[in-house]
Amino acid sequence: MDPITLDICWSRLIGVVNEQAAALMRTSFTSIVREAGDLSAGVFDRRGYMIAQAVTGTPGHINSMALAMKHFLAAYPLDRLAPGDVLITNDPWKTSGHLNDVTVCNPIFRGRDCVAFFASTCHSADIGGHVLSAEAREVYEEGLFIPIMKLYEGGRLNESLAALIRSNTRVPDLVMGDFHAQVAGGTVGGERLLEFMEEFGIERLEPLADEIIMRTERAMRQAIGELRPGQYRYTLTSDGFDEPITIAARCEVRGEDLWVDFTGSSPASRRGINVVMNYTEAYTTYGVKVIVSPDVPNNEGAFRVLRITAPEGSILNVQHPAPVAARHIIGHFLPHVVAGALKEAVPERVMAEGSANIWGIQLTGKNRDRSPWVYTFFSSGGTGARPAQDGLSATAFPSGVLGTPVEVVESLAPLLIERKALRDGSGGDGRYRGGLGQVIAFRVRSDEPATCSVLCDRTRIPALGFFGGQPGLPGQVLINGRAPDNPKGEQTLRPGDLVEVLLPGGGGYGPPAERDPALRARDLQQGYTVATSRGATGG
Amino acid sequence: MAPSGNPSRIGVDIGGTFTDLVWVDEATGAVRVGKLLTTPKDPSQAVEEGVVALLHEAGARAAAVRALIHGTTLATNALIERKGARVGLLATAGFRDAVEIGREGRYDMYDLFIDPPVPLVPRQLRVEVSERVLADGSIHRPLDPVQARAAIAELGILGVEAIAICLLHAYRNPIHERTLAALCAEILPGVPVSCSSDVVPEIREYERTSTTTANVYVMPLMARYLDDLERKLQELGVPGRLYVMMSAGGIATPETAKRVPIRLVESGPAAGALAAARSARQVGLDRLLSFDMGGTTAKACVIDRGEPLLAREFEVARADRFKKGSGLPIRVPVVELIEIGAGGGSVARVDRMGLLKVGPDSAGADPGPACYGAGGQEPTVTDADLLLGYLDADFFLGGRMRLDVEAARRAIETRVAHPMGLGVTEAAWGIHRIVNENMAAAARVHGIERGKDLRGYPLFAFGGAGPVHAWQVGRILRVPRVLVPYGAGALSAYGLLAAPLAFDFVRTAPQRLTAADWELINRLFEEMEAEGRRILRGAGVPDADVTVRRSAEMRYFGQGHEVDVEIPTGTLTPTSLEPITESFEAAYRLLYSRTPMGVPLEALNWRAVIAGPSPDLTITSGLETGAATAPTAKKHRAAYFPEAGGYVDTPVYDRYRLDPGARFAGPAIVEERESTTVIGPGALISVDAHRNLVAEPASGEAR
Repeated sequence: MDPITLDICWSRLIGVVNEQAAALMRTSFTSIVREAGDLSAGVFDRRGYMIAQAVTGTPGHINSMALAMKHFLAAYPLDRLAPGDVLITNDPWKTSGHLNDVTVCNPIFRGRDCVAFFASTCHSADIGGHVLSAEAREVYEEGLFIPIMKLYEGGRLNESLAALIRSNTRVPDLVMGDFHAQVAGGTVGGERLLEFMEEFGIERLEPLADEIIMRTERAMRQAIGELRPGQYRYTLTSDGFDEPITIAARCEVRGEDLWVDFTGSSPASRRGINVVMNYTEAYTTYGVKVIVSPDVPNNEGAFRVLRITAPEGSILNVQHPAPVAARHIIGHFLPHVVAGALKEAVPERVMAEGSANIWGIQLTGKNRDRSPWVYTFFSSGGTGARPAQDGLSATAFPSGVLGTPVEVVESLAPLLIERKALRDGSGGDGRYRGGLGQVIAFRVRSDEPATCSVLCDRTRIPALGFFGGQPGLPGQVLINGRAPDNPKGEQTLRPGDLVEVLLPGGGGYGPPAERDPALRARDLQQGYTVATSRGATGG
Repeated sequence: MAPSGNPSRIGVDIGGTFTDLVWVDEATGAVRVGKLLTTPKDPSQAVEEGVVALLHEAGARAAAVRALIHGTTLATNALIERKGARVGLLATAGFRDAVEIGREGRYDMYDLFIDPPVPLVPRQLRVEVSERVLADGSIHRPLDPVQARAAIAELGILGVEAIAICLLHAYRNPIHERTLAALCAEILPGVPVSCSSDVVPEIREYERTSTTTANVYVMPLMARYLDDLERKLQELGVPGRLYVMMSAGGIATPETAKRVPIRLVESGPAAGALAAARSARQVGLDRLLSFDMGGTTAKACVIDRGEPLLAREFEVARADRFKKGSGLPIRVPVVELIEIGAGGGSVARVDRMGLLKVGPDSAGADPGPACYGAGGQEPTVTDADLLLGYLDADFFLGGRMRLDVEAARRAIETRVAHPMGLGVTEAAWGIHRIVNENMAAAARVHGIERGKDLRGYPLFAFGGAGPVHAWQVGRILRVPRVLVPYGAGALSAYGLLAAPLAFDFVRTAPQRLTAADWELINRLFEEMEAEGRRILRGAGVPDADVTVRRSAEMRYFGQGHEVDVEIPTGTLTPTSLEPITESFEAAYRLLYSRTPMGVPLEALNWRAVIAGPSPDLTITSGLETGAATAPTAKKHRAAYFPEAGGYVDTPVYDRYRLDPGARFAGPAIVEERESTTVIGPGALISVDAHRNLVAEPASGEAR
């Protein structure tokens, strides 16, 4: 295939998955999918190699969905698939690490011949069990576990499975509606793919896939080859659930190979902050890519080059049936550990430690008419400072999940949000300052008690600066002005209780003494920093 | 010759570089076009000079000008260059940072070095007021008048020149915003004020605040400018009214424009899309894909039922022009365009993957493409088009500029052909194909996002480079035919003359349709329609000529994206439910093939467009379709068409000598001063009664 035609076919495939994602988002019933972009969509060849992925908000799905496809094929080889079949699973170990992420896969047929797969992963509104929290001791408590099954068989809904799912979730209409949206996205993508194959006279995607994968792999290797060879280490500590968790990384650059090994990281936690290997690979890959090769596309070829290992049974390679619901708390630290290690190799391309995990505020209770309600919204603290720029305030990194407007939250849930503001002085000082966290204060508007769990971290150990930058302020959860024993725990709220959530700031970059006085003056004037007895601080 | 006393109209489009004018004699249909450099310091100056010159050339009397319709990018430029007023913000206590926190996302997941758009109001100019309205519109905490007065006084001390008032849930209950506005008028008289409930009464505090802030940010500037312009027109003896094109394509009076200047932001591109829509109606097409490709970007717009599609939100002042989310969100009705980084100046290069990438960066006008001979070393789309024989080195811009073929060849050879192991022609053809693919891909995703299958849409191409690429882009999109209008250079200014006087309104009132409060809905529509009629009456439109179009944004309960559904006029009752449901389901099925069962419907926003009559422009009168004639080529040149075996001797026609009724076959090239149309083999080309070039695949050939 000549390079120009290859280029055109490649961009067509990317166009096809973007159409798949657009159709999915427009028909979704869940605000996390629509407003926050918590989904992924991709096209695969018949061997299960991911060829193209839509640009959406979640690095956590990047290659976890690619790995999932191989499991789909293992469970249902091509000879067991027929036109109109649709597969489904939320197996955390085979997909993206917790039960809420449901992956749906449409095999695409040309006549009787399966030529490709479209898959999408979406964050489901509710999958039963505990409301998404770190409380559980085993995955069994975390909700309905759907092994790889057929959701549709020959175009007909699997009624038994649907009935089972419906009776295991608090909001069956939304959940089934989203499966419908995922199937619709796959159908739209499939139709466009078949048109494209016909136009270009393509019988099989595999030769095209091989070319795309080969070129991507070569580009990825070349990018790694530009790094200074060596072994780089970094260790970071998370609050954990009951006790602190160590995440230790060793990045070994040797020629055009990069090996990230997490030996030395803590063993699995008894609570649901454990990470399956798939998810560890996803966030490690993302962490490497933003530093080393942001311009290389995501497909099988980009993933092959990296070797990522973690000891079996460690918190980054946890085994069934460990609880995993809040796995992003640890997973979101991985790009920061990678940055910490690679900063020795490429200081001009890394961001200091930031707030890291996106905070999820989960609430459930009863309305005044005693009907149940469930609501989740996400928020972000500050990112770390950059080599020549301050960090980003109240901005998600590494996650791309967006915040939900206060007016939308209050329209959908019986909440009164009293304050949502930047958290002054929370960014770590430095030549460049860390981004500010934010403060969110709210009460439940109901006469019934409610349950609240805040999926958070960095409440004990702050985001550290790089190269002499100061740490940001750690986060805090307060109920009526008092910190609960465990900020991650489920809290019972009485009517009228005030919940205050203070998100962490990011770490600084470079020594504070080198900060431009003009920037310092601006920060004070705008109130981004506050004057204290020790002088103006960033954190 | 004595000046003509026939009634006439003038369209003026002020762009970043040029101010275009079109004068039309309403009696004879005679047209005059003018073009002069924009005068950025006082844009009304170029308008004044242009009008004087145009009337002089046309031999027309100022006193006979009935209307001057105006499109401008002034507001946009003020936002991009941050040259607006020093704005203060009054926000609900606890929420002054909403405009800075935004959506908490990054617009590029893989770029660690991006920064979000900087809010128009710096933090120290954002002052909080003690009040709170809830999501259902009820008042949780009444406005504290003493504290409010102190807050406004504080803004005064801070020296603000304009004030935005944006309170939580004000779209449901504007009472506190209105009270604050009254207090502002009392305490800081003469300082312009905008309420979010007035500018954009819709849910989502960040977008609403961003829009309201931007509105008041450009307000003093636009008021000054429009006043100047009205005065100058008066001094010229032009009795006709001044009208302003809105971003959604309707035109409004200066009074309205001064109150909501943010609604003018996209008026330039809107005019181009309107011109396309008008052409569609003229030739009896109800749908078109308008495609405008210039030096740096291409814009595509879907025309449906003879009207451009509208969007409810766009972004201004983007940090990265082609990245969604990198600009300030503006939530007002706007002609929906997708802008693609693909123009004549788009640069071609080989990327890390060994693949050819074209754009989105552009060589611009300086140094420009390599063939301009102004020092540009990088190969561009124009360079490729030149090597392929599509452009004539001696007839670029009608011969006003000579192109350097050798420089183009060198650039493509060294930067593309050699690194990729291709011949120069293959490389040039690759650049041409890839930029076409980029445009088609962007247009197609744009289509699916709006639920449109573009295969049924004829392509309407204009702009300097549009006609060069239209045939190929049309092939990729599988459109049935390609149209290239006559005189594409002033198309936007023509569009200004095609717009009706119109205004759109919106009210947010979420309703489950099975339990809808029809009384409330009727009241909302009545309010909007009365307001629209009042504005139109003020502009001299009799009630009998006013048309009303209602719509609602509806969805299945629980979804987050809405589908526009037409709502019947007149009083609504529970029996209206059935036809509304049917319209919704039909629209939904069209988009997503199927409808979920048993999910209730809800409507979020209720909209009304109140419009005067469309101006009846017969500017092409006198052009009759003659008998089919085969025109004579002015010359032949070698142009590259791989379907025909490579470089083939291709006839070149003079656009100005092609009369209605002319028919010829592709491959063919048609040249006019500002652009060149390239049509491939296997096409039949004809010139219609409106002098459009119409190219279709020869009968029977599948595209």
